[in-house]
Amino acid sequence: MSGVRFSGAVSLFAFLVLPAMAAAQAMIADTSGRKQPLTTWGIQFEELEYRYSDDDEGLGVWNADAFYGTDDFKVRLLSAGEYEIEEQAYETLEHQLVGQIPVSRFFDAKAGVRFDTPEGPDRTYAVFGVTGLAPQWFEIDASLYVSKEGDTSAALDAEYELLFTNHWILTATLDATVAFSEDEDIGIGKGLVSTETGLRLSYDFIDRAVSPYFGVVHERKYGDTADLAETAAGSTEDWFAVIGARIAF
Amino acid sequence: MNASNLIVAGLAFSMSVSAFAAGTHGGGHGHGASIGEPGKASEASRTITVEMHDNYYEPEEIRVKPGETVRFVVQNKGNLVHEFNIGTPGMHEAHQKEMRMMVEHGVIQGNKLNHDMMNMDMGNGHSMKHDDPNSVLLEPGQSREVVWTFANQGNIEFACNVPGHYQSGMYGDVNFE
Amino acid sequence: MNIRLGAVVLCLLMPALALAGEYDLTVDRVEIDTGDFVKQGIGYNGKSPGPVLRFKEGETVRINVTNNLDEMTSIHWHGLILPYQQDGVPGISFPGIKPGETFTYEFPIQQAGTYWFHSHSGFQEPDGAYGAIVIEPEGREPFRYDREYVVQLTDKHPHSGDRIMRNLKMMPDYYNRKQQTVGEFFSDSSEQGFWNTVRDRLAWGDMRMMKADVEDLQGFTGLINGKGPEQNWTGLFEPGERIRLRFINSSAMTYFDVRTPGLDMTVVQADGNNVQPVTVDEFRIGVAETYDVIVRPRDEQAYTIFAESMGRSGYARATLAPEEGMEAAVPPLREPARLTMADMGNMHGMDHGNMDMGSSDDMAGMDHSSMSGMDHSGMSGMDHGSMMMDNQAQNDPFYARGSGLVPTAANGGKFLSYADLRAQNPLYEEREPTREIELRLTGNMERYSWSINGVKYEEADPIRLQYGERVRFKFVNETMMTHPMHLHGMWSILDVGAGQWNPIKHTINVNPGTTVYMETEVDEPGQWAFHCHLSYHAAAGMFRKVIVEGGPDSQQAKTEAMAEDGGEA
Repeated sequence: MSGVRFSGAVSLFAFLVLPAMAAAQAMIADTSGRKQPLTTWGIQFEELEYRYSDDDEGLGVWNADAFYGTDDFKVRLLSAGEYEIEEQAYETLEHQLVGQIPVSRFFDAKAGVRFDTPEGPDRTYAVFGVTGLAPQWFEIDASLYVSKEGDTSAALDAEYELLFTNHWILTATLDATVAFSEDEDIGIGKGLVSTETGLRLSYDFIDRAVSPYFGVVHERKYGDTADLAETAAGSTEDWFAVIGARIAF
Repeated sequence: MNASNLIVAGLAFSMSVSAFAAGTHGGGHGHGASIGEPGKASEASRTITVEMHDNYYEPEEIRVKPGETVRFVVQNKGNLVHEFNIGTPGMHEAHQKEMRMMVEHGVIQGNKLNHDMMNMDMGNGHSMKHDDPNSVLLEPGQSREVVWTFANQGNIEFACNVPGHYQSGMYGDVNFE
Repeated sequence: MNIRLGAVVLCLLMPALALAGEYDLTVDRVEIDTGDFVKQGIGYNGKSPGPVLRFKEGETVRINVTNNLDEMTSIHWHGLILPYQQDGVPGISFPGIKPGETFTYEFPIQQAGTYWFHSHSGFQEPDGAYGAIVIEPEGREPFRYDREYVVQLTDKHPHSGDRIMRNLKMMPDYYNRKQQTVGEFFSDSSEQGFWNTVRDRLAWGDMRMMKADVEDLQGFTGLINGKGPEQNWTGLFEPGERIRLRFINSSAMTYFDVRTPGLDMTVVQADGNNVQPVTVDEFRIGVAETYDVIVRPRDEQAYTIFAESMGRSGYARATLAPEEGMEAAVPPLREPARLTMADMGNMHGMDHGNMDMGSSDDMAGMDHSSMSGMDHSGMSGMDHGSMMMDNQAQNDPFYARGSGLVPTAANGGKFLSYADLRAQNPLYEEREPTREIELRLTGNMERYSWSINGVKYEEADPIRLQYGERVRFKFVNETMMTHPMHLHGMWSILDVGAGQWNPIKHTINVNPGTTVYMETEVDEPGQWAFHCHLSYHAAAGMFRKVIVEGGPDSQQAKTEAMAEDGGEA
């Protein structure tokens, strides 16, 4: 936009003021790629792993994100799921499509929609949130969800990387969910819903593109949500051994 | 200023003795060859004009007969301070250290010399005067004479020992016929 | 007013007498073998680096560039003074060269020295599209040498430029493998104390900046004249000869600290312009800079040319030897540099940081006493006593006071500073600048976005200069990276406080947390690029178009105007 405007101004200037210069100074508007906002993309599987629970349950789990856009606006597709291998069912399956704009030096605001389509009832939410880097290198992603039914909940994901070496990296994660209203159909009670805490030790095998890891994950449900789970004969606390790889394209 | 004074005094001392000490000891490298001695203008067999440019001489080579006395007219045609110094490569190397100190102490300032500093009495009869008979140190536009009686042979160069100048090629060969 | 321009005027007025050289270059897909890896890249006449173009001052050259790629290309003649239409920047000088097309550049050679050329399209330059230019002067060189070699450095990376840019945008530390680790925490704790180390980490963590952020792009193999360390490019010599080494840093991102163990180097040229010779043990060459040095190996032995990257993540190596196949020891890499708070642009206290010049030893007689215009801290380094070499490291006025990036010579000797550079012959008469333009170098490492005055090129208006003025540019580096700023088409007169002896350059390094001034005689009409020469910084927005308004309206008038100028001088 500014390039076009600029060339117009210059040619007007050249025409009115400097007719003699026109030949030598025929200003070329920079229409090269450099004058366009730099567009970039990326695809990452933050987690792509097999989880083995203390109840001898096997799960395939992924947490992925793809983006396309410029510094000023990105479209981001997030995908996360937990697949119970034996039961051949998705315990969770969640997709988000959000637009993201910078709001501060280190944080972006995002807004979009989230579709949950696991085994059982589906849900559609509006998403509002911020994502970025907090002081002391904590990667933060905080989202507020409002379902079509009007239920609201919030999630906070935090991640911290500890470099044992420049290739051996210990990643600590904490995901916490809070519900402001009950959604019994999908087993959500009001209050603190659940936490997932993970520790994964990875090795950057090929650049930062392929980083195999192993680790441990702890999941826990709280309060009303835990009660709902117990009623449904589900577990309220699980420990998992995990093995997988972080992958970036 | 105390440390600085000491350095300057040391420098002055080393400067005033260097040419002759080096001359008699072949630049301290034990070759034993003399570079010759100051000559009298009346004994000069000929006059050679040496132009000093930034940073090279014209000519870059002279031929002398063994024992010949030559009157050099040295002209600084450059924009920087230059030296014309007759000596062995070893003498020049030693002198370059002194010249570096002269630059570091502000005696040589690119295109001019700080004469006050050069003439300053260091309190022990020494100064940073650059008045050895085998050399002249000239500001741009200056011209001076050096009369020199060469020895019979030797590995002699005339050189500018202002830091960097010799290294970048500001020297000329004295070849004996 | 300008001696070189005078020669050009002569050349233009008597076209029949002007020599003309014709050159052909093809732009090709090539294979690049670094010894560590083989990759597809772009080169000239079937090779990367391309040929050494040898011009003669006073001739007019015609260069036919044929694009054998399936994408647009261009060639920029880095550091050459020429009509802007010949400058080779797509979108600014000309539209670019289409696939299959041949474009003929034609321009007079108005200068001498060591320069280089490279593509200004996309990431073709980091992908291999570069070569050297050597221009023989009309008169004699103000120094002597028996033989000469071009020593062209680059940082060849296994990834393509496009991929590197994308990875940096995705994860700014993608290529940084010199980050601080748990191990470094413990070693720092034992050296500086546990709580000091904790406080240090918290202070940096609070800023979300990394002390280790010295080199964005690691994992490269340093090449000299296209050869990796194992392939060992070798230049031959006879003992006692003087060798002129024409160092050119054609890297995308990498600064090199260069030394030749056992040989001191006398720097005689910087960015193609003669400087008063200064003998050093080591020098840092910024991206796109050139330095010509003279070495004199006296012994019948091999000498290593060792170029360590500033962040110590890689190196280039070559050999000078009396015979092919001889080699000398290759030194180990030194410890990587760590930034300090001084590099973080704590700009308060930087301006006039230690400018108690008046009260220090009498400097009045010194030619470079016109320090009033300089904002560098650490100018106490000019104080006589501390000019001694052992103190030099702390006193380089072109680094922030207390900077972690200040280089020191491996052998404890002399490391070249910008402050050592003096023009051999002033190219322009000294005069007061007509105005000052402040350019803050800005960026956001976490977003890998780079800008000038906080504005990226895509959103920026051009910088407008008036023909005939002398502009003083004030670079204020507010980032933690070093930026080699390159103005096309007109000289950058670096203010080292030496007045008329200030060196003339085409690329000016601005270290983190420092303010550097340069002046430009606006003597070329047209429009020009002005940018950080780190490929991925320029592409991320640290780039400007400069428009020179006014001036002669035709080539003929231009020569007349120049003739008048020449007459006044």
